[in-house]
Amino acid sequence: MKELGAPVLWATIAVPTLLAIASQVLGFRSRQSVRLLAYLSALTLLIPVPLVVYYLGYKRVGALVDPLILDLSAYNIGFIGLVLDGLSAPIVVGISIVTALVSIYSVKYMEHRIDELHGEEVRVPGLNAYFILYNAFSSSMLGMAYSSNLIGFFIFLELSLITSFLLIAFYGYGDRLRIALMYFIWTHIGGALFLAGTLYYGVNAGSFDVLLVETMEYNRVLASVDIGGLATLAPLFIVVGLLVKMAVFGVHMWLPYAHAEAPTPISALLSPNLIGIAGYALARFSPTMFPQFIADIRDLLVFLAFVTIVYGGFVALRENDFKRFLAYSSISQMGYILLGVATLTGFGVAGAMLHYLSHAIGKAVLFMVSGVFITEMGGLRNMLLMGGLARVYPTTAAITLIGFMHLVGMPPSLGMWSEILIVLGLIGGYNPGAPSSLAVIALLVIVAFMVTATYSFIAMRRIFFGPLRQGRASKGGEVMDEFKIAILIIAVSGIIAFLVVELLIEPLRASVNPLLELVGGG
Amino acid sequence: MVEAHYMPFLPWSLSWLAPFIGALLIAVAWMLRVRDERVYGYTSVLSILASALVSSYAAVNVFSKGPLYAGRDLMWVSWLGVSLGTYYDGLSALMAVVVSWISLLIAVYSVKYMEGDWGYGRYFFFFTFFVGSMMLLVLADNLILLFVGWEGTGLCSYALISHWYTDEEDKWVGRPGRRVLGYPMYFEPSHSGVRAILFTRVGDLGFLVGIAVLYTVAGTFNIVALASTAPEWLSSLASKGVLLLTLLILTLGALAKSAQFPFHEWLVTAMTGPTPISALIHAATMVKAGIYLFLRLTPILVAGALALTATPDYTIVSSQLQSYYTIIAYIGAFTAFMLASMALVSDELKLILAYSTASQIGYMFLGASASGLLLGAEGVISGFSHLVSHAIFKASLFLIAGWLIHVAHSRFIDPMGGYAKYMKLTALALWLSGLSLAGVPPLSGFFSKEMVIHVAYTASPLLAVAAITAAALTAAYTLRVVVRVLHTPPYTGAGARHQEHHLGEAPPTMLIPYLALALISLVIGLSWPTLSEVYSKMSELTLAIGSPVEAHVELSGLTLATVAVILATVVAVSTLYAIVRANLYALAQKAPLDKLYNFLYDRWYANPIIYMVFLGGGIRATGLLKEADIGIDYTYHSLTPRAGSLGAWILRSLHRGRTEYYITLYLISVAVIILVLLLAR
Repeated sequence: MKELGAPVLWATIAVPTLLAIASQVLGFRSRQSVRLLAYLSALTLLIPVPLVVYYLGYKRVGALVDPLILDLSAYNIGFIGLVLDGLSAPIVVGISIVTALVSIYSVKYMEHRIDELHGEEVRVPGLNAYFILYNAFSSSMLGMAYSSNLIGFFIFLELSLITSFLLIAFYGYGDRLRIALMYFIWTHIGGALFLAGTLYYGVNAGSFDVLLVETMEYNRVLASVDIGGLATLAPLFIVVGLLVKMAVFGVHMWLPYAHAEAPTPISALLSPNLIGIAGYALARFSPTMFPQFIADIRDLLVFLAFVTIVYGGFVALRENDFKRFLAYSSISQMGYILLGVATLTGFGVAGAMLHYLSHAIGKAVLFMVSGVFITEMGGLRNMLLMGGLARVYPTTAAITLIGFMHLVGMPPSLGMWSEILIVLGLIGGYNPGAPSSLAVIALLVIVAFMVTATYSFIAMRRIFFGPLRQGRASKGGEVMDEFKIAILIIAVSGIIAFLVVELLIEPLRASVNPLLELVGGG
Repeated sequence: MVEAHYMPFLPWSLSWLAPFIGALLIAVAWMLRVRDERVYGYTSVLSILASALVSSYAAVNVFSKGPLYAGRDLMWVSWLGVSLGTYYDGLSALMAVVVSWISLLIAVYSVKYMEGDWGYGRYFFFFTFFVGSMMLLVLADNLILLFVGWEGTGLCSYALISHWYTDEEDKWVGRPGRRVLGYPMYFEPSHSGVRAILFTRVGDLGFLVGIAVLYTVAGTFNIVALASTAPEWLSSLASKGVLLLTLLILTLGALAKSAQFPFHEWLVTAMTGPTPISALIHAATMVKAGIYLFLRLTPILVAGALALTATPDYTIVSSQLQSYYTIIAYIGAFTAFMLASMALVSDELKLILAYSTASQIGYMFLGASASGLLLGAEGVISGFSHLVSHAIFKASLFLIAGWLIHVAHSRFIDPMGGYAKYMKLTALALWLSGLSLAGVPPLSGFFSKEMVIHVAYTASPLLAVAAITAAALTAAYTLRVVVRVLHTPPYTGAGARHQEHHLGEAPPTMLIPYLALALISLVIGLSWPTLSEVYSKMSELTLAIGSPVEAHVELSGLTLATVAVILATVVAVSTLYAIVRANLYALAQKAPLDKLYNFLYDRWYANPIIYMVFLGGGIRATGLLKEADIGIDYTYHSLTPRAGSLGAWILRSLHRGRTEYYITLYLISVAVIILVLLLAR
């Protein structure tokens, strides 16, 4: 491990929000200054990427620790510290890239959205206030990924919830107040369940540290506390709480509303970044806290994962609203992350973390593309009214294809690696010893992955191919402004990640093994 | 087997890297909105030329020094042991030469063919990316790298099939309006693209599961390492009883990619792509990826099984391999027959060629499977030699079709006819390639098909009977096309006269590629004694074969019988069409033949059945789950809040400010508490 010379990780969390607050207080409201704010925030949010690439990927440092550590051990809470290791690297990179570029994308989109709301005579906070919430939301997600302590994690979790709730309530579509409230209640139930379970462990162990920031080793005390009669209930609370956050089948119903009706830049953070963090938390926390329990429910979780993949995908096929379609696709994609984690194998967990990143890239691209049509084609969201749009938007079509490839797992997109690792984890974990079990696993994999491919390529056709509708003739070439270049950069980053995946996979390999030793695997 | 020579990554890997670089440059130019078509065309041609030169140089080196292994230590993902290794042995080096040179010829053809097309840049991007992927697939030293190339070819195939994605009617496949069992039998480009990628993806996922199982047992993806540890992992899998199933799941990938039954449907409708794409991807190269993988793995399996001869595991390994190869051999033979029968009645030029492609690949699977059944390498060599012959004559046939469809302004053969007098060289090319496909000596197709039939006969006479029957059908449908297009007047006269003014030879950059390929078919056939030496040397240099295999065609009773059947068919069909001028076509549409005709024309109803099961079933499932979702939504967001309101209403109704009510409640509560306390004691 390596201790950073300066509190860089804290800076990536604090600076964007402080910048936005400062510019609000100082009254910099012009378009230029908001753009400057967006770019500065983006730059700060991007800082973790070179850190991961250089220290973790290239120098093979096991973990980075921020020097600023809050010592709350006197209150039996432990140390609130920020760390970055191989397991969280794909998560952090995913949040970093997506939040930074969506920040730039936001300027044009939110100007349009706020104008639209003003047109409806709705008073909403202006663009600068949007950026305060946006940056706080982005930072809170980074904070969750950095957290070495359960209480730290929970605080950032709540912050992300409040900020995203406000963003939906202010700028969302449709029945936005009701949907924002629904979102709040649902994810709050998830958060409360998580907290209840966590408190039980932390209070009994006298510390909420998952990772010991001094050594970056896992805190083995958590798993060894005797919690008596609640040994099943407490971990169950935590797992269910996280599954609600992930929106797996059965507790998914809030997601299509929230993710479809949020303002598109926020959809492009909710789906790609926020929900997957629960999958990461499941991978990080469950072996540390309840290794036996998680090993016991492995089969159940694998099954639930397959059900989620197939269910989300099938329902997505029936959706005509582009954003709702994407929301169901996110549910389905969470199934892949759960599948990888649930295998409790090195490849599976690594694949799940990598899939977080590929889904982040793919889904961010797709939501941002949906925003292109909303801003440039008069709020067009209905896929029944699309078709042939590749004639008008050739570059957007190409970018969208790259986005879908990340979901489907086709090279040259990062998705291929996560797909391979998850399948390897599944086969390795179950090591089919009889034709019947091999047949079942093969069938499940083929069906699940086929559903994803099916809705992806069918949507691609519905949106972009076929004859162009009347009156939508191309008015000259497609304009590539910063709004679209932001999407392009995210898409290209997925291809680059595909090529240099070693920089993520080697740190993952180094950090999944000690984690899985806790469940007796590795 | 000679040890491989280790080489640096560059320049040896340029054979696949150069086209990728070309594709990248094209993508950049496209993003920069470069309008000049030459930039795209020339970049593509030059990068493929570089690839062809490097792979030829490598092949020369392989044949003089032994296998080359470049970039073995350049790790891509070290956890999985996946390197960026380029492995040239006898099989891969020759395959790379064939793929890269055919790609080059077709790229040259495309520069002219696609002139003025609105998707010119996109076309060449995917074309070039395809060549890179295909070369990677051929030369990869490990299964993951091979999978990358494999998926890359699938992506390009998808994009190029749906190249004309605005779906104008002249770009369709099938008769507009024709339906069977309620499902349309005509396909728009964008529909065909989705079909292609989804059909093949089923197989790809099988392939992925298969290699994951191999990795779990063998601990490596490296093909060379898999070959050396084959005895161990074969016995390990066989003793658990999963060897057969693992191989079948793995082979799903090969079967889907190479359009074998029941996956053949995607290839048929892939003909919506531009004709050079049909020639390159859907005839000469990509559809060969499946059989190539099969040829790559079969020697490893065979050698692994043979190494176990003296051990107790031999019986279970060989019996599971026998079952496996029997299944594949029958799938190959069945596909060869089934698709050839469809080609007999089809009236779309490219469709006939597409049926023929799947059918001919069936021969390759049949030949290679015989290797597994006989535990020898002859079948592999026969399969590979047919692959090469087919790649050459079929590419030529498709390129010719591109020109014919252009001059006829129709994809159907009915308006074509009598072209021989307007285009002598094209007619020559069509005759040579056609006779090669029909398996007429001394063209290349004769020799390679003969080898397949021979080895199939040794494995099982029944397989040989199927193969010879399919050979007769092949000769029949080929001659039907050649004679009707070149020598008899068109069936539908409309438009025939006004076409005449622009009937003529294709421009040189289009004519030369297909003429050259046709002549190569002839030259290969004439020089078969020399070429069989090359194949024999190749087998000596191929991983897990390592000994020379005789690749010449013996003059046996079987050969004579086959040639007799083929020649009789050729003569009969030519006579019927050219001399008797029989309108078999009209005859077949009348009872009682019309049932058979429709059955064959509608492709044995395979497509409607697949659609009924998967599409129909899928639509029903999505509908059901959507309903379930609405139910869940209602439960959570409507019933639960209502239950909450009801509870609140009940509680509220207890608090209406009436004193006597409160006192009663108070008394009841106290009574209950006392009762509980008493009972609890």
